[in-house]
This record gives sequence, C-alpha cells and structure tokens, in this order.
Amino acid sequence: MITRIGAEFKRNRLYGALVMMVILHLIGIALIDGYGSIFTLRSMLVLSALLAVASVGQTLVIILGGIDLSIPFVVGVANVVAAQLYGDGMDFALVFVIVSLLAMGIGAINGLISAGLGVHPLIVTLGVGTVALGAVQQWTGGFPSGSAPQFISDFVSIGGTLGPLPFPGLVPAVFVLIALVVLVLRRTTFGRQLYALGSNPSAARYALIRPVFTWTVTFAISGFFSALAGILLLGFSGSAYAGVGEPYLFQTIAAVVIGGTALVGGSGSYVGTAIGAAVLIEVNTLLIGLGFNPSAVQAGLGLGILVLVSLYGRERSVAQDI
Amino acid sequence: MSVSTSTPLTDSAASGRQPLTLRTLIGRIGFGGTILIILLILNIWFNPQRFAPVAWGTVIGLAAPLIGAALASSPSILSGRGGLDISIGPLMGFINVIIVVFVIGKAGLSGPVPVIAASMAIGIAFGAFNGFLVTILRIQPIVATLGTFLILGGLTTTLVPSPSGTIPDWLRTMSGGWSILPLVAIGAIWLALSRLPYIGLLMACGSDDRAAYTSGVNVTLVRFLAYVLGGLFAGFAALSLTALIGSADPNIGANYTLLAISAVALGGISLAGGRGGPVNAVTGAAAIFLLQSLLVYFNVSTFILQMAYGTILVIAVSATQIERWLFSRGDRS
Repeated sequence: MITRIGAEFKRNRLYGALVMMVILHLIGIALIDGYGSIFTLRSMLVLSALLAVASVGQTLVIILGGIDLSIPFVVGVANVVAAQLYGDGMDFALVFVIVSLLAMGIGAINGLISAGLGVHPLIVTLGVGTVALGAVQQWTGGFPSGSAPQFISDFVSIGGTLGPLPFPGLVPAVFVLIALVVLVLRRTTFGRQLYALGSNPSAARYALIRPVFTWTVTFAISGFFSALAGILLLGFSGSAYAGVGEPYLFQTIAAVVIGGTALVGGSGSYVGTAIGAAVLIEVNTLLIGLGFNPSAVQAGLGLGILVLVSLYGRERSVAQDI
Repeated sequence: MSVSTSTPLTDSAASGRQPLTLRTLIGRIGFGGTILIILLILNIWFNPQRFAPVAWGTVIGLAAPLIGAALASSPSILSGRGGLDISIGPLMGFINVIIVVFVIGKAGLSGPVPVIAASMAIGIAFGAFNGFLVTILRIQPIVATLGTFLILGGLTTTLVPSPSGTIPDWLRTMSGGWSILPLVAIGAIWLALSRLPYIGLLMACGSDDRAAYTSGVNVTLVRFLAYVLGGLFAGFAALSLTALIGSADPNIGANYTLLAISAVALGGISLAGGRGGPVNAVTGAAAIFLLQSLLVYFNVSTFILQMAYGTILVIAVSATQIERWLFSRGDRS
C-alpha cells in the first residue's frame, strides 16, 4: 500500500504538493490559535495569489528548459514605472499598456539572446534584468514617487471583499488565471510546443517548431506576468519600491519545484506551481505564527523547502538515465 | 586571434570535435582576458596611485573576496547537470560571523591556526551538506543550495543581528601586504588536485555524466566532492572578506552569490559544466572588480554601475557564443 502511494506520487508529483498544503494547514490549525480563521486564510490566499501571478512566467520558461532570473527586476521596473507615470497624471489604462509592453520587450530580449545565441538563460536574464532596473532607477534618481489607483488597491487588499464574497477580487481572478494557463498549456498548439521543445529540442525542430520564436514569445509572456505582479504589488503596498520583487528571485523557482516541475524542462504544470506558491506561504505563515523572528523564519523556510523537495521532488540518478 | 598558430596542427592531427574545443578554450580565455586587460589599462591610466606596485596588496585585498567567491562557485558549475551553488555568498557571511564573534571574540582563540581551521572546517561541512542534498537526496542543485542559502542567511542574522567585533592584526594583513595568501591557497589546492585524477574526472562528469558513469567513474562521489571543494574555497574567501571588512557583518555575504556566478560566466566557464578552470574564474572576477573600481573612480551612480555590469555580462557571454558559432560554421563548411 505504502509503495503504491509512493509510486503514485512519483508518477504525479503534483499530489505531493497538494497533500503537503493540507498537512501544513492542519498543523497550523492544531498549533496556532486563529490559524484557521477567515482573516489568516484570506491573507494567505492573497499572498499566494501574488506569488502565483509572478510564477506564471517561471513555470512556462522552466517547461521550455530555461530559467528566468529577471522576474524580480521586471517586477521592480513595473512597480516603479507604473507608480511614476500614474503619479504624473497619466491615464491608468495607458500606464498599463506602456508598462506591459516595456516588460514584454525586456522578456523578449531575454528569450531572443538566450535561444538565438545559445547562451545560458540564467546569465542572460540576470544581466538584462540588472540593466533594466538600473536604468529605471537612474530615471527616478533612486527615489520613486507616485502610487496605484484605488481600484488596484481594493483588488488586492487583504481586507477587501468582492460583493458577498469575503475575498478581494484577486483571489477568484487567480483561479481564472490558473484555468486559462492550463487551457493554453494543454489545448493550444503553443502550449504543446513548449513541452515538445522542453523535452527534446532537436526533435522539436523537425516538428517545425521554431525555437528562437517560441523562446522569445515565452520570455515575453514571463515579462508580462512579472509586470502584472509588479503593478498588483504597487496596489498591495501603496507606494513604489524598486526592490519589491527581490523575494521573488528564488521564491518563483521554489514554487515551481515544490509544485512538482523538474528544472530540466519538458514537463510540469501551472496548477502545481500555484499549489507550490500556497505551500511556501503556508510554511512562512506557520513559522511566523509560531513566534519566530524574521531571520529564523528565513532559516526555517530554507529547511522546509529542502524537506518538501526531498520528499517528492527528487531527480533520477545517472544510473537510471542510461 | 592568437588561435591561428595552433589550429592547423590540431586540425590535421585530430578529427571531429577536438580542434573545436581547443579553439573555443583559447578563444574564451582570450575574450575574458581581453576585457580584463582593457579594464586594467583604463584603471591604471585614470588612477595610477591606486594601482602603483606599492598598493598592489591593498588592491588584491579589495578584489580577493569576489575572486575567492568565483573560485568557490566553479567546482559545482564544472560538475555539470545544472550544478550550481548559490549558497557560496551566505556561507562566506556565516563563516565571517562565526570566526569573528565566536572563535576570536567569545572563545578568545585569535591565533592563525584556530581561525583558519575553523573557516576551512565550516566551509567543508556546509559544502558536504550541499553535496549530500544534490548527490544523495538528488535535489536539483539550484533548489538545494537555495535551501542552504536561506538557512545560512537566517542563522547568520539570528546569531549576530548587527555588525560587531574586531579582528587580530595578523588577519588584518590579509587585506594589505598578504592579501594574496588565501587565493594562493585555493590555487595550490586546485593545482594539486589537477595532478591527481580528480579534476579530470570532474571535467568528464561535467561534459557527459552518462559516458563517465558507463566508464566506471563514481559520478556521485565526484559531484559530492565538487561541492565540498566549493565549501572549502568559500572558507578561504571568507578569510579575505573578514580581513577586508575587519569585523563581523551579517548582511554582506549574500551579495557575493550572483556576482560570483556572473564572474564565472564572464570568465568563460560553461554553465553547462565540463569546460573551464580557475584561470577563467579569476579573470571574470577581476574584470568585474576592475569595472566597479573604474566606475567608482568616475563617481557614477550605483545605478549606472548596475547597468554597465549587466551590459558587460550579457555582451561577454553572448560574444563568446558568437565567436564559437563562427568557428563551428567555419569547421563544418
């Protein structure tokens, strides 16, 4: 029985993340007063949702066999530029279009250089991201001003409600987003091409998949969702801050891996990532609730990631790979 | 380029991939070296006092933590299969805090032997921990070392929340006249290992672990030792860092992680593993240091510094690939 469950987990790592999420939540309810309250649940849902939005791109890029370290920088760029432009009195719809295009441009450059020249995306995204955020900070002189429009703040506020529902609009919106991303990955040509290119790049070329084009588009999508996360975070925190995306550098990767996606590419699901984001937030909330200080929470989060991934996210050994 | 003299010989002597790798290897060192030489000339030109021979100790002392961090990041990257150790920076910060506050401060052991032994031991211990996570538990390296990164960062700020402590005089000289010593130690260990079969096996695992495995190489052990070696080197880099800042600072270590990986890539070590060596790591780290030092001399804002560093990073890794791409075109036509 135990081995059968184990085999099932190996076949679909997604269940592992789901079980972890439930177990962590039950531990929280058992140990901490008020952990099961609607307020805690609501704040965890909002934080998970923000991380899930920022992790869309990371999931797609990792399925492709790449990695995107530019996410925190693009989140920062979008956060600062949106606040600055909106603060200058520009119409928010126009601000959104400009910021999205800017972020997609940054992403497209990442994909184009990585695939076009065959350079490791880790370094390319790190370099391009650093340049972009440096340029934006030079523009604002390091002291960004401005804020988000009220409806964005309401949309992400932990205390917010959506009609009769006790959640802000962001939470149901992320469920719609999950459905959309799954639909794109499973049912569209583009989605299938991502998996094909990720699992076997040379075979994919014979199937008339254009690697450079697909990489460019996918990294541009990653840029778009980073920008979206940056704008949502602007509403969440109220004021602009270039370093707002910093925690997302590794958290997006951790969410993807905890969600059961292997970093080698060719497999993975966004449902897993969304659950992985929730697991990360659960661990974090649990540790804060147990009264640890921020440094100890950080150390505990590191240990938690290691324990979770070693339970169900292990790689194959070389011997199994021959 | 300097390659042209050696290539006709190898072209006729060996077939297939052999001349290509030799060419790219030389080409790479040539490219990283080119940036380094240009930056060195510019630095000496604009700031002759700082780069005068009497000040070399101090200059090397300023560059040594980054060079050490880059060297420490190299073995895991060379071991292939996405090998990467992002915990090098926090590990240096952790060792810095432990030796200054606990070994020198609380225990009063301020002599060279206990301090150096403690640095090496902590480095090896966490290197072995990373090696265990990556090779025995088989967690993907970037995630495994992210776990260590967070644990070390959290431990460091829990133990020592704010900068404190002082260091003995002998350690202080390692930011001046004797600043080269920790780097020499790393170089000597690497040289010794390249006389043994180890470095060769590391390269074999890095370029094709399946072939290495079927040839009877203990891939797991070789990879495990790569992380241990990285940890040991981080111990030496932490000595340079401690000498430079002269106290315990819990916030400084993490900054070195991304810079070190950038330096490794800039110097021409392949992130896919199996290609490159310590010279590449030192070249890349020195180039980043010289770039920082030049821009600081011109008093440009940190944002411009960031932009310049990012641009050079992308151009450098792309240029190496363009060069290689051109070479391989030439070979196949």
